[in-house]
Amino acid sequence: MILMIIEDMLNNLGCASVTVAATVDQAIAHVDAKVFDAALLDVNLNGINSYPVADALAARGVPFVFSTGYSVNGLREDYRDRPVLTKPYPYRDFVTTLTRLFASSSQ
Amino acid sequence: MSKINNKSDEQKSAEADVDSFRKELGPFVVAAEKTRMAMVFTDANDPDNPIIFANLSFLSLTGYDREEVLGQSFRSLMARGASPEALVQLEAAFAGRFDQDLDLHYRRKDGSEFWADVFISPVCEESGKVVQHFISLVDLTKGKQEQAHSKMLIEELNHRVKNTLSTVQSIAWHALRSSSDPEVIRESIESRIFALSRSHDLLTRENWQGAGLLDLVNAALEPFGVANGRAERFEIVGQNTRLPPKATLALGIAIHELATNAVKYGAFSNETGSIHITWAIEPTPAMNRLILSWREKDGPPVAAPVRKGFGSQVIERGLAHELEGTVHLEYKADGLVCTIDIPAPQAAHDG
Repeated sequence: MILMIIEDMLNNLGCASVTVAATVDQAIAHVDAKVFDAALLDVNLNGINSYPVADALAARGVPFVFSTGYSVNGLREDYRDRPVLTKPYPYRDFVTTLTRLFASSSQ
Repeated sequence: MSKINNKSDEQKSAEADVDSFRKELGPFVVAAEKTRMAMVFTDANDPDNPIIFANLSFLSLTGYDREEVLGQSFRSLMARGASPEALVQLEAAFAGRFDQDLDLHYRRKDGSEFWADVFISPVCEESGKVVQHFISLVDLTKGKQEQAHSKMLIEELNHRVKNTLSTVQSIAWHALRSSSDPEVIRESIESRIFALSRSHDLLTRENWQGAGLLDLVNAALEPFGVANGRAERFEIVGQNTRLPPKATLALGIAIHELATNAVKYGAFSNETGSIHITWAIEPTPAMNRLILSWREKDGPPVAAPVRKGFGSQVIERGLAHELEGTVHLEYKADGLVCTIDIPAPQAAHDG
């Protein structure tokens, strides 16, 4: 349900291609296989933290934003300066954050 | 420990101290021996503060034999596992400059950890000279563990509440996009929130460890007359397979959507249709799969919808994404068939 609203928000924004992954392994496989403009990363995937995915994205220079239901200061030290959307997030915040992210990826 | 093995003069004198201790304080020594509070006396005449008395409770708390602690400096015994700051405080307490309780982290002889609240007080002669230190320790391990557990539970609760609120946001978002009729929007939002609520009730009953699939199917279909009203039009066959919380929530809402669809367009939109729900675990080389089939019969003729509504999106995308499964919707002329194929639940643990 939450993924669906995110997909719809992205479609509303005019994103042509959205790839969804439910697990860390799936996500890393996608990051390895394709080129992404930006990524939205839930900190907790099925009870497992998604830092390995963040590491893979960071290594390839793909800008990303964390999405979390936990408080911001729960993020790992080296990722504290990354943008975070705290669930639930209003569409407006989503648009602002993603727009900034896309801008940084096209530079 | 070499001190003890060699039975040095110091050791002998410490033992003599203990003997005199027992003689002088008879009943109090017995009480100190038996109390559940861990207690130690050290000799203040020696800067090392060697232990001259340790009760049974102290020995069971630390895991040492009496011979192993008598004559040992209390500080060096506590140095296993205590932080440098705690050791500085311990030193200050011996010097009479720290009269608060000390929370010490410590390792037992076997390496296991415990937390103790340590209180040190001087025992003085008539002249005021400190001759001994009395040390009591209260085991805080259980409290510390409970504290950590509560913190974990609160974080987990927060995580789940936030996810639930996001789900509600998603429900409202889609309801508002699918209709402009306030009545339709209200009904769409309410029925889904109640479906979510029923799955929550099931999970709460089992401490959020999971729920049984048969219980879930019955709970989700309750507003559609599975127990009364349409009971004879349902056929439900399957074990009460345990599902983890995430699968419970996702399947609960999917079954709700399927039933809603059946009332609007499918087997429950006339007086004769019926719904057959069956599931089973099927082993495959990689892992066991849970295959659930929802089959409608004797409803009005079925045609694939021109535009996919929220319901079929929830079923197809929601389940597939969240449960790493596949969902197949087949608009057969004699009734809708939905096949859900997800990894069979193993240990019920997820967020």
